[in-house]
Amino acid sequence: MMTLNVRPVLSALSRNRTGALLVALEIAIALAVMVNAAWIISQRVQEIESPTGIDTRDTFAIGFAALDGRSDIGTAEREDLAYVRSLPGVIAASATSSVPLSYYGQGGSVSQDPGPRAPAILERSLQVDESALDTLGVHIIAGRSFSATDIQPLSHKIFSGSPEAVITQSLAHRLFPNGNALGKPIYAGDNSPIIVVGITSDFIGSVWGMPSYNTVLYPQTPGGFGAYFCLVRTRPGDTQALLQRAQRHLATSNPDRVIISAQTLEYYRQRLAAENRAVVIFLTLVTALILSVTCLGIFGLTAFNVSTRTKQIGTLRAVGARKRDVVAHFLIENAIVLIVGAVAGCTLALGFGYWLSDQYQLPRLDLHYLAIGVVTLAVIGQLAAWQPARRAAAVPPSVATRTI
Amino acid sequence: MLGYYCRLALKSFRHTPGLTALMVGAIAFGISTCIVTLTVYHAMSGNPIWWKNNVLYAVTMDSRDPLPTGSLADSDSLPDQFSYADATYLYGSSIPRHKAIVATMSGALSGAPDQSAAALVHLRATSMGFFRMFDVPFEYGGPWDAAADRGPEPVIVLSRDENDKLFGGADSVGRSILLDNHPFRIVGVLDRWNPQPQFYDLTVRSFGNASDAYIPFASGVQLRLWPHGHVSCWGADDPHTYPQLIGSSCVWILLWVELPDAASREHFRAYMDAYWAAQHKMGRFQRPRDNSLWPVSRWLTHHHVVTDNSRLLLRLAFAFLAVCLINTVGIELTKFLRAAPLTGVRRALGASRRHIFLQHLVETAVIALAGSALGLALSWAELDAIHALYSGSNDAYGLLAHFDPLGVLWALGLAALATIIAGLYPAWRIGRVPPALHLKSQ
Repeated sequence: MMTLNVRPVLSALSRNRTGALLVALEIAIALAVMVNAAWIISQRVQEIESPTGIDTRDTFAIGFAALDGRSDIGTAEREDLAYVRSLPGVIAASATSSVPLSYYGQGGSVSQDPGPRAPAILERSLQVDESALDTLGVHIIAGRSFSATDIQPLSHKIFSGSPEAVITQSLAHRLFPNGNALGKPIYAGDNSPIIVVGITSDFIGSVWGMPSYNTVLYPQTPGGFGAYFCLVRTRPGDTQALLQRAQRHLATSNPDRVIISAQTLEYYRQRLAAENRAVVIFLTLVTALILSVTCLGIFGLTAFNVSTRTKQIGTLRAVGARKRDVVAHFLIENAIVLIVGAVAGCTLALGFGYWLSDQYQLPRLDLHYLAIGVVTLAVIGQLAAWQPARRAAAVPPSVATRTI
Repeated sequence: MLGYYCRLALKSFRHTPGLTALMVGAIAFGISTCIVTLTVYHAMSGNPIWWKNNVLYAVTMDSRDPLPTGSLADSDSLPDQFSYADATYLYGSSIPRHKAIVATMSGALSGAPDQSAAALVHLRATSMGFFRMFDVPFEYGGPWDAAADRGPEPVIVLSRDENDKLFGGADSVGRSILLDNHPFRIVGVLDRWNPQPQFYDLTVRSFGNASDAYIPFASGVQLRLWPHGHVSCWGADDPHTYPQLIGSSCVWILLWVELPDAASREHFRAYMDAYWAAQHKMGRFQRPRDNSLWPVSRWLTHHHVVTDNSRLLLRLAFAFLAVCLINTVGIELTKFLRAAPLTGVRRALGASRRHIFLQHLVETAVIALAGSALGLALSWAELDAIHALYSGSNDAYGLLAHFDPLGVLWALGLAALATIIAGLYPAWRIGRVPPALHLKSQ
């Protein structure tokens, strides 16, 4: 019974070749766009979700700058830190020279060998005190972190003047690919050795260009640049309230310095991901719209075909086709168009994917996405034609005998 | 005849309201998606000072220390900026018609009547040429003069927003204000000015807010205001004091010149090359000579201002529009061919192929126009939504997603044209159908 039905389908299709081809073309392009869009979305979501290495949910940072270069910023810093530590709900607080994940910060390059000509690796530099790692939620995986006595007082000699430092794991691997970085000296462009006393898990420092996991932590009181930041870790849920409370008090507690920023770390994390998120939202919308437009197109065209071929349908029914066969007729017609479109779409999707990975340095399209795309489109495409096909089945056989 | 065709088109739409709505809707979505992505792309890649593209130049020289080959440094690109010594020497040339030294500093403004506490502001330490060269509009007063640059005099120009904050928007020219507790005289207040991308200073980011106040560069140096933008140092340079900074080879100053003709350009290049040669002999500038003058358009490309993302989204938006157009063409083709009996009757009554072609083209055009109008309204709403979503932060999308009439009209015209071209094939096909075929009774 099934093979008998294919020939009338094919002959019906051949009468409206161009229309059917256009639908197939639409399906092909839709498949190519949807599959690649989904692939890019998954890549971007991965990037958005990629670990910062910091506990951003329960931490905020307030930045301060001296109004006048001459005022004693060290006193202000001590007072501010003492104040935030006294707030109920604060687990840890630390003074640093910049906020990880923000766009303000300092960086340099460090190398294994002394002298300004040694091959060097770019890193983000961070002055911290003994509580910084606890505040950020970063772990020491080898060696030790700083104790209160290690921290050098505020001075204008920044970064390279330090006898010791703690570095991230990724920087340790790049500087010393063969072995243990602990206890080894590193150099920040001159001949004074900085001994690596600890290695931390990777975290993103302040961002310039691309985020990087290469950070060097110096045990120095920040403020040599005229600015310092209080990083505060709170009990879960209290972060926003404590940020506002601290900001209100600190804005007026000291006339010699002003607040230059007051945000949660989550804000900085979201901001870094903003462009990726915009791309994800846009691509999701486009995918949904393309799917809808294609579906509605198939639905509309099938319904239109049905409404103008009532005489043929009536004739089919009059010569003995059951309602089931009429439905099958239209579904098979739709399926043929879908198959042709899907085959062309696969080629187009692979070609488009290859070109995208070339142009935008993306990894190659995962074929699973292609398979899922084809199946999804096939299922939805057939579902779109289902309702008009059922209406076709309702056409009575007596229509065949009428002349108009 | 046109009115008749329109009436026929409307009749045809009434006959198939669902399909017509689908076609119009699909075109509207396709067009609005393209308009939104085109607007952002156009704003990102647009040259905000395009009318001066062949006279304004950013000056760069490669003053980096030569690194050994096989360096592990990840990114070490050509510096945009100059050290204090190099910048002041090059600025001293009288060859350019206008010239500007541009540096970023930060200071505390206080002493204004509407102010409760001192505020740290983003300062642009520059020269009077800045305002002339970049056609910066003034609401009150004007820029300082060359004598103020030389003096230097403690004069200041406020941005419109800063003037609103400090003086409630009133004419504050002539009044005094304290910058880091030093009195400065206000000589001008800017009108709204925030060209995107911020071509004149791309060192920190490409899109953002303009500075709050402007002072002569030498005044900033006199006050020992530390640079607040991007500072890069090489080799053993590690300045901790202001004199150390001034004497170091750390770069933190941008230089812009206006060179109106080829002769002045050659003249200035020779000036740069002579300076390079002299410094090279003294042991500086050890890298291969790379003295460049960048017109704004090349400057923007060099800084990759247009991100890969916006290009990608633009291409996908056009692919989506293509899908919508093919959808429309397919539906139209089917519709026209199914209405062939009616067309046969018309042909028999004397309509020529041209008439049939025009009639169906008009039908397509009405759909194209309806879709375009709806698409325009949709894109307005979408851009508004993007602006609302992103305007809180300093993100590019918030600043750029404003309705740009020129770009939008261009996009709209393109899409409407594309729809009409897409309708050419169905209209032509229906014209070719022999009338006799459809005049037989079914």
